[in-house]
Amino acid sequence: MDWTPAPRRQSAMRREQNLALVGWMVTGAVLATGLLLILVARVNPEGAARMRGVMLDMTTPVWSVVRAPFDGAGRAIGWAGDYLGAVERNRRLTAELAGARAELQKATADRQALVTLRRLVKVRDPARTVIGTARIVSATSASVVRSAMIGAGRRDGVVPGQPVIGADGLIGRTVEAGNHAARVLLLTDPASRIPVTVVRTGQAALVVGANRPSLELRDRVGADIALQAGDRLVTSGDGGIFPPGIPVGIIIDPAEPPTVRPAAIPVGAGYVTIEAAYLELPVETAPANPAAPVPIEARRSGGGTPVPKPAAPLQ
Amino acid sequence: MVRHAPPWRLMNAAERRRYWWGHWRLAVPAAVTLGLVFVMTAPLIEPVPIFPQLALIGVFVWSTFQPGLMPPWVAFLIGLVADLVFGQPVGINATLFAAAAAFVRIFEARYGHHAHGFDWAVSTALIMIFELLTWQLMAVAGRPVPLLPMAWQVLTSALAYPLVVALCANVQRRAFGADDLR
Repeated sequence: MDWTPAPRRQSAMRREQNLALVGWMVTGAVLATGLLLILVARVNPEGAARMRGVMLDMTTPVWSVVRAPFDGAGRAIGWAGDYLGAVERNRRLTAELAGARAELQKATADRQALVTLRRLVKVRDPARTVIGTARIVSATSASVVRSAMIGAGRRDGVVPGQPVIGADGLIGRTVEAGNHAARVLLLTDPASRIPVTVVRTGQAALVVGANRPSLELRDRVGADIALQAGDRLVTSGDGGIFPPGIPVGIIIDPAEPPTVRPAAIPVGAGYVTIEAAYLELPVETAPANPAAPVPIEARRSGGGTPVPKPAAPLQ
Repeated sequence: MVRHAPPWRLMNAAERRRYWWGHWRLAVPAAVTLGLVFVMTAPLIEPVPIFPQLALIGVFVWSTFQPGLMPPWVAFLIGLVADLVFGQPVGINATLFAAAAAFVRIFEARYGHHAHGFDWAVSTALIMIFELLTWQLMAVAGRPVPLLPMAWQVLTSALAYPLVVALCANVQRRAFGADDLR
């Protein structure tokens, strides 16, 4: 396919050899650059944020057009499932509803009591602000990173570090944003850490993804209190990104480390809500220190920041 | 392609134009592989990495079909795009795609061309090594990932290999013609 007839002349042969050598040198340089980039990414993970935003803006709009067949297929499957399971689901829901009514009455009374108590102790709750609603347009199911792209970006007020919430519960948080698209780190990603509370026991813990359908519960406070299958987890509000009380998942296996099934499974998830970070963490900028020590060499050569006459020479 | 450049003075205007416009073919392997990178972001949200690693297969296939047009540095650039698109630390796919192209180059120089089934096996082994190295390099880049779920991708990639070969062969025949195959 690619072979060329062997060159006849000596000079041509040497030229071939030189070209091959240059080619291998370029290859070596390229591989070294790649490894260097990985180390840079380790030190500075936010390095290519701008490039990533541009890339999101380029790929996402195409999928938001091309995805129509995917949507149609998903909807068709959904309809078929609805019709097949309608009777059985109706019976189950009727039974559930009877139980839920009783719970609801109790909850109403509780809410009244809570409002009263809060007024008494003057609790101030930061308000939740909805930035917008967007649809998930593409995903990275081919990569070791579990992320999804949504069709809203900086122009719509979406910036990295905002919670993304689906109809059934927490989806993830934004990690990159372009002008018209943003990337959401899903709960199932190994880098995702969600501070949660176990509703029944009140324990604080972290929900960690593992590139698997189920999540893990780690770093539980008070590990001596046993969990049960079916315990619900909601966000605790710690860390300042996720507002408290959003369903995260249900414990399906209490053996250590406990296994969690996510509440919202975004299989072809339609629309998600992006909210502002619950409590913006204050950004502390280091104060400029004019009296910072200047290297002796810089002082001798007259460079560096002008120092107002050192009191005593260092030598 | 430069090596076979026709004598400039012997061409008439139409031939020269055809010759110059024909250079779009140089970008075909890279463009097809970038298309595969894009397809890998299909809106299928799965909790495990189950979508086949089409871009790596693309790099593998094109560096056997058109070694001159898929050198390691082109694979490196495609890998950079893949890193940015997938949200991985920059440099992981770039390094591994370039290494894959270099590997194919050495392998072909040493062992020549082979049957489809053999290439299929080699590509599967290559994807396995790719996943192992991704696992290691992700840890180096400070974002460790579990190894076991990547087995899904090896499986689906092995199944997807003939499809990518069929696609690339089709493009190869249309863009470069059967003459180059001799």
